[in-house]
Amino acid sequence: MYCIETSLLSKSYGDFVAVDGIDLKVEQGKIFGFLGPNGAGKTTTMKLLTTLIPPTGGQMNILGIDAISSPLEVRKKIGVVLQQPSYEPTLSVEKSLEKYGMMWNVEKKIRKDRVEELLSAFDLVDIRKKKNDDLSIGQRRRVQVAREFMHDMDLLFLDEPTAGLDPSARRGLLDFIKSKVKDGLTIFFTTHILEEAEYLCDDIAIINKGKIIAVDTPEELKNKFGREKTIKIHISEQKNISSLLSGIQDCKIEYDSGVIITVRSSQSEQVLQNILQILASNGITVEDLSVVPTSLEEIFLSVVKNSNA
Amino acid sequence: MHEIIRLVNRNLTISLNMGFVIWQIISPLIYIFVAGFAYTALIHQVPFGNKTLDYPAFIATGMIGFNIMNSTLISGIIIWNDRRHGMFEQILVGPFTRAQYILSNVYTVGIIGLVSAAMITAVGYPLFFKQVEFNILTVPLVIFASITGSILFGSIASIISTRLKSSEGFNVIINTVFLFFAFVSTAFYPAQGAPPILSTAFYFNPLTYLVDVVRAGIFGYFNGLVATEMIILGIGAAILFLIATKLLSKLEL
Repeated sequence: MYCIETSLLSKSYGDFVAVDGIDLKVEQGKIFGFLGPNGAGKTTTMKLLTTLIPPTGGQMNILGIDAISSPLEVRKKIGVVLQQPSYEPTLSVEKSLEKYGMMWNVEKKIRKDRVEELLSAFDLVDIRKKKNDDLSIGQRRRVQVAREFMHDMDLLFLDEPTAGLDPSARRGLLDFIKSKVKDGLTIFFTTHILEEAEYLCDDIAIINKGKIIAVDTPEELKNKFGREKTIKIHISEQKNISSLLSGIQDCKIEYDSGVIITVRSSQSEQVLQNILQILASNGITVEDLSVVPTSLEEIFLSVVKNSNA
Repeated sequence: MHEIIRLVNRNLTISLNMGFVIWQIISPLIYIFVAGFAYTALIHQVPFGNKTLDYPAFIATGMIGFNIMNSTLISGIIIWNDRRHGMFEQILVGPFTRAQYILSNVYTVGIIGLVSAAMITAVGYPLFFKQVEFNILTVPLVIFASITGSILFGSIASIISTRLKSSEGFNVIINTVFLFFAFVSTAFYPAQGAPPILSTAFYFNPLTYLVDVVRAGIFGYFNGLVATEMIILGIGAAILFLIATKLLSKLEL
């Protein structure tokens, strides 16, 4: 079953098309990463899917409900952490969690337990009595994300939830999200930090200029767009190496100070074999060798670059 | 619990703090007991319907309307703060509609207005108890005035909060508008005896109607003019509420 299913979903502001006929399918119990450069249409898509703004075209079905005709029914079943900060400045951390639970009609006893659980899970115990207005940006973000877990939901939208968090808080949050997915929650997640997407997401969509330009698992995206690998070879001595390797084809070779050779190729195994043969036949010793697989970041940059071209 | 009740609960929690409550009691007390007695030397007695009121009794009842108006500033402040701190969008991606959000603000100012009126009535009672003529017909006048006045002024504050983008602009405009309402009205002094232009201006001010209806309720005086003022107050509240609702529902997200 799909938790999110859209067909030709669009949103225009006058002549400007923010979201241009996107088709999305998000499976239940998965973490779906939504990546894109600034202004690509991530936040507008998020606002459409959370029914905050109506689309100008297309269809969307969220949790089996037609989200265009019954937006309130959808909102009762989802949780949303928006990109922009949201907080009650006059309330303390624990009071804002408690009141948010009350707003979602969570029973008082359950609210009390959840407040304690979330204060502990998000490392907020020491600042529980502090007012939101007095918190740092990172602390406020932690409260904002923690608050969303005060109520039950089937689908959670997270718009750059780790913005402003330090590395330890970021890892803590990602692990907490993973634990919730194990309990059956589906997550729609946007981020700029591609290591996060790689660490967390089961499926990834890349959006650019309002259009989806790639959708797949991180591994498949790497297979499709990341065949090129980077090989670094550290040799013992400089011996007119560029002329020796000039005959090697299907690769790009860079020479750094003569003893470090960087080779980029989509046929890395064959190219490496050829290079090693030439080095051995010329009596050049290889001191170190590493093969770096293409990161999601490189794939992202390459896919977006191709799409812009 | 119904969605609107939950939002009212949240509104009351975020808006009511000890400072606000104390100020809501202290400021009218200063007007009632300091200005009330100090100006007695200038304004001895004020005719009101078939009665003649002592000035402290006159100003104490005026302060009920004044306090209702002041407390409804909260409506504008809630909307302003919600927009500024991202809670407006957060609430609207929750299990609430815009209509529920707007209605919850109306109920919040209605409750605060009624409690405010009750508080000042209790505090000012020693000053006007001799002339009070509460009865089953006039008490509803005070409640009507409190509720319609709250909606009317709450709508004005809401309209201002939806139109302005800077906090400085919001504070300047809201204070100027409410200062005009406070002092160009019959809350502090009677229209009779004021220069004609000023006394005419009093009746372009909804606070005058609110205060007159409250006084009519407390001093048990009801006539055609009070009925007309009630109608104007009701219509004004309805129109301004519709405008505020329209503007809020058109706020871009």
